[in-house]
Amino acid sequence: MYEKILVATMGEYMDEILEHTWDTIHGRETEVIGLYVVDTSVPFLTPKKVKEMMTEELTERGNEILDKMEQEFQSPSLYMINFRKLLLEGDPAEEIVKTAENEEVDLIILGSGKTRIDKRLLGSVSEKVIHSAPCTVLLVRTDTKK
Amino acid sequence: MIEILILIVLLIISLIIVIKSADVFVDNLVDIGGALGISQIILGVTAAAIGTSLPEFGSAVIASLSGSVDIGVGTVIGSNIWNIAGILGISAIAAGIIRTDSSGINRDGLMTLATGIILIFFMLFGDINWIVSVVMIALYIFYLWRLIKSQKEYKEGKIKEELTYESLEKKPIDKKKIGFVILGLAGLIVGCRILVYSGVELARIAGIPEMIMGLFTLAIGTSIPELVVTLSSAMKGLHELSIGTVLGSNTFNILIGIGIPALFIDIPVEKLSLTFDAPVMIFVTVLLLLLVKRSGKLTRNGGIILLATYISYAAIRLTVLV
Repeated sequence: MYEKILVATMGEYMDEILEHTWDTIHGRETEVIGLYVVDTSVPFLTPKKVKEMMTEELTERGNEILDKMEQEFQSPSLYMINFRKLLLEGDPAEEIVKTAENEEVDLIILGSGKTRIDKRLLGSVSEKVIHSAPCTVLLVRTDTKK
Repeated sequence: MIEILILIVLLIISLIIVIKSADVFVDNLVDIGGALGISQIILGVTAAAIGTSLPEFGSAVIASLSGSVDIGVGTVIGSNIWNIAGILGISAIAAGIIRTDSSGINRDGLMTLATGIILIFFMLFGDINWIVSVVMIALYIFYLWRLIKSQKEYKEGKIKEELTYESLEKKPIDKKKIGFVILGLAGLIVGCRILVYSGVELARIAGIPEMIMGLFTLAIGTSIPELVVTLSSAMKGLHELSIGTVLGSNTFNILIGIGIPALFIDIPVEKLSLTFDAPVMIFVTVLLLLLVKRSGKLTRNGGIILLATYISYAAIRLTVLV
């Protein structure tokens, strides 16, 4: 049913997201794109060097997360999955939607585990993605108490 | 009334000039340092340590040298209280959690606490003179050396093979960057002068002590870089940068923000600073250390406690102890 899947992660809820991804694929031949977006937005008056440091640190973290994800997909039992990783810079929700459009994916899988207060204070990437996604979205509800 | 409005506008504009100039100054200075072959680790650590604190430092120096010592000391102590209780409080409430690693909190937290205690100790003996200033500056150099050392160890452990001497290669210096350094410095000096002037004049017209102006208006204003960095890094999950910015800034503010002006003139100690403001500064530092010690993180509830402490401090200082 789904031939090309975009799995977006910020590093949180990785285990739950992967479990749902494998369950969705269900042994079929599928192309999976693992996406991490380095959030480069900073408030006005943020020192330039600090912004560079933040981007550097988040890029490092993103690469670590994608490497870990790649390792998980290298299991012999997942031979039917063609996995590739993608690290982008920008607004996470916008980049997820843009990638889904450009890559013409059939499904976006991402996690959501923020409390109502966190959503109010931090904003929610998944909510933004749901509103403008060009395809089906599987929102993996995770334990907020973790 | 119009005079007050003009002064407030002047204060806001000068604040933006000061913060932007400090950024341009540090940014280009680091690039020149890189071209001269100074290690990226040393440059990175120094830029992060002083980058966000230059506005407080500039205001404290300009205020002290132009005769408004109270506003200078007030800006430093007020910034330190606001940084911990206000900024970390707000950031923890917004982000929900700020994690701390034990080595970082031990080094930076205890150093912040130690500098606060050292300041109170010297204040007990009266004016802060050039001898104290030398001790403070030496202590800061020692702290910076420790920071650079730990950063080197961290990098060595992480990417051993990449630790080459590539950063020590000299490159030609871009003349534009020298121009920007001078421009940044000039902007910083002029901006701080206007900032202090508008602060002093506002205090005079409103009939409030200069110390109060320093403790609150200038302290919170010049800490805007710390606020944006701490808040946005906490929200992005860059916890170490978030808490490190505040603690590093507090150490810099005392040792350099008071240390450098004291090289040129004796800094008189106001009684209320010694008996109330400086102890509150120590109290909020201890409170932060206690809040993060047990679980290794500052929670949203911890943030509420810190912010409530700041509001209580401000209420007492502005109403009871003026």
